[in-house]
Amino acid sequence: MKYEVRISGKTQMVELERRADGWQARIEGESGTTADVAEIAPNVFSVLLSGRSHEVYVTPSAGGQLQLQTSGLEFLAEVIDSRSWRGRRHGGAEAEGRQQITAPMPGKVVRLLVKAGDTVEAGQGLLVVEAMKMQNEIRSPKSGKVERVLVAEGQAVNAGEVLCVVG
Amino acid sequence: MFKKILIANRGEIAVRILRACRELGIRSVAVFSEVDRKSLHVRLADEAYAIGPAPSRESYLRIDKLMDVARKAGCDAVHPGYGFLAENPALPRACSEAGVTFIGPPEEAMEALGSKTAGRQLARRVEVPTVPGTNDPTEEPQARALAQSIGYPVLLKAVAGGGGKGMRLVYSDAEFESAFRDAASEAMNAFGDGRLYLEKYLDRPRHIEIQILADAHGRVVSLGERECSVQRRHQKVIEEAPSPIVTPELRRKMSEAAVRLARAGGYVNAGTVEFLVDQNLNFYFLEVNTRLQVEHPVTEQVTGLDLVKLQIAIAAGHRLPFAWESITPRGHAMEVRLYAEDPENNFFPSPGKILSRHVPSGAGIRLDEGVYEGWTVPNDYDPLLSKLVAWGNSREETIARLRRTLDEYTITGIRTNAGLFRRILTEPEFLRGEIHTRWLDELLRRPRAAASAPQPSAVDDSKEAAAIAAAIWQAKQSAAQAPGPSSDREGASRWKLEGRREQLDRTP
Repeated sequence: MKYEVRISGKTQMVELERRADGWQARIEGESGTTADVAEIAPNVFSVLLSGRSHEVYVTPSAGGQLQLQTSGLEFLAEVIDSRSWRGRRHGGAEAEGRQQITAPMPGKVVRLLVKAGDTVEAGQGLLVVEAMKMQNEIRSPKSGKVERVLVAEGQAVNAGEVLCVVG
Repeated sequence: MFKKILIANRGEIAVRILRACRELGIRSVAVFSEVDRKSLHVRLADEAYAIGPAPSRESYLRIDKLMDVARKAGCDAVHPGYGFLAENPALPRACSEAGVTFIGPPEEAMEALGSKTAGRQLARRVEVPTVPGTNDPTEEPQARALAQSIGYPVLLKAVAGGGGKGMRLVYSDAEFESAFRDAASEAMNAFGDGRLYLEKYLDRPRHIEIQILADAHGRVVSLGERECSVQRRHQKVIEEAPSPIVTPELRRKMSEAAVRLARAGGYVNAGTVEFLVDQNLNFYFLEVNTRLQVEHPVTEQVTGLDLVKLQIAIAAGHRLPFAWESITPRGHAMEVRLYAEDPENNFFPSPGKILSRHVPSGAGIRLDEGVYEGWTVPNDYDPLLSKLVAWGNSREETIARLRRTLDEYTITGIRTNAGLFRRILTEPEFLRGEIHTRWLDELLRRPRAAASAPQPSAVDDSKEAAAIAAAIWQAKQSAAQAPGPSSDREGASRWKLEGRREQLDRTP
């Protein structure tokens, strides 16, 4: 089985072969590295890359991407199954110029600093969200006009919820 | 000695305290809010009782509920930990009314030293140097006039505060009004007290604090200093003992000042006297923390003492030995605070379920924590996960151990600031001990220096390993999702089951 892995801006073809207690993997291309892989726990893999020992933790994350952690390093990858070419989805691209400001984590809106129709500078505070006892100012990623404010002071918000739109 | 202690706290510190109780043969009683039912302190305690909804004002800050639990469970003492009610004189007052011992200073000492403004007044009386600024809580127009007279930058601080909450640095008159409003509102939310005071901001000062112990029989001793200059937005993130710059002479002078102040305030139990130290090794009193500190383990590692047990012994009326009046640190210890926060998203808290983790161990390593695999980090409290402490013969060995430990440490499901420490612990300035309270904030604004970045060849190797793991994960996923009885020799149903199980285990 062959898989195309897009990882940190690089594409690598990985060939896999199932073994009795793990996998044999080979990276196509000039390195041609082979690896012996064992699953240690769900989503945790021990990878012996030409004998060099790595432990990789895999976590599915937003937009169909995989988050990979190993020896304090972190990568994001996308895998395409070469048999089906039915790849994992890319995250939706932002509409050009128009920015949706989303809550980076669950919390409570404690203060609105702008209203619809206001002109804002890049970096200007839009609203203040409190989470875990810390008040955090959410700033505008661009200069423009506040098109809509979708939340009210005192409202609880979830991670990813759209707070306002800057055009 | 006490028979049963109520621990009026949660998280790693509640676990730390109940472990000391267990070692002393004292029963421990935990309390928990609705979201903490499955927390580690509840699992490990001898007894545990619910005290209300998630918001701390309705649970961990409710003295009436805590006293109720203490009475019903038959506790003879209360340990407040740090944060929450630890520095609120109303708790020792309620304890004495209920006839249980408060493990901490007397109410009067807490009032005389604990409030930052009162502490500064007392410091001036006993000739401990202080930073220019107000003694008293101040209102907006007066505060602004004072800021103009002592000169910008100035620091606004919550009278009731701690941990960087309700604190704002103001560089100019134009920012003053909004900074004051934000700090007051944050202080009101965090401590139920929105009063502020202000002081002059020193140039590249170091934060160095003296740990003291005082028994009820008049003996006050210093256990030496901790350096806590590595801070992000006024929050300590790395602490060490001894400080790389403190000489025996300076240690003696700072210790004497701390002991003098503690005596003047009638202090009993463990406390910390915080100082700022300038470039010329002048020190200025900052505040007294009338409680156990988050970073107490570094002092424990270099003195060999158990501060929580000593707090309990002091509260039970035991005497400190005379010999401790000249205690000196041995070796070097350093602590990093691992928080559930996302360094790539401006260090926003990152609560959620811990899917898996690998916990480091080995020579010279101590881990104080209140988390476990499968536990969901709640959104309602300080996102401190673990305190990773290393000690060694020298600062260099300690740093090497911490680096090794951080390489082993892995947690999935939530984001942590572990990467921040991997970077700090390779920064040349940090390795030389050239740090100050603004050093980390400045470092984070600079592009990463080549010297501290990981070797490109090591990154490429890790990337290949990661790519392979990603492919295998996908292969397992595809096998699990394949419809109907499959021709796969491995047996589709087991793949499918595994895949389903994994998907169920995942949090969005």
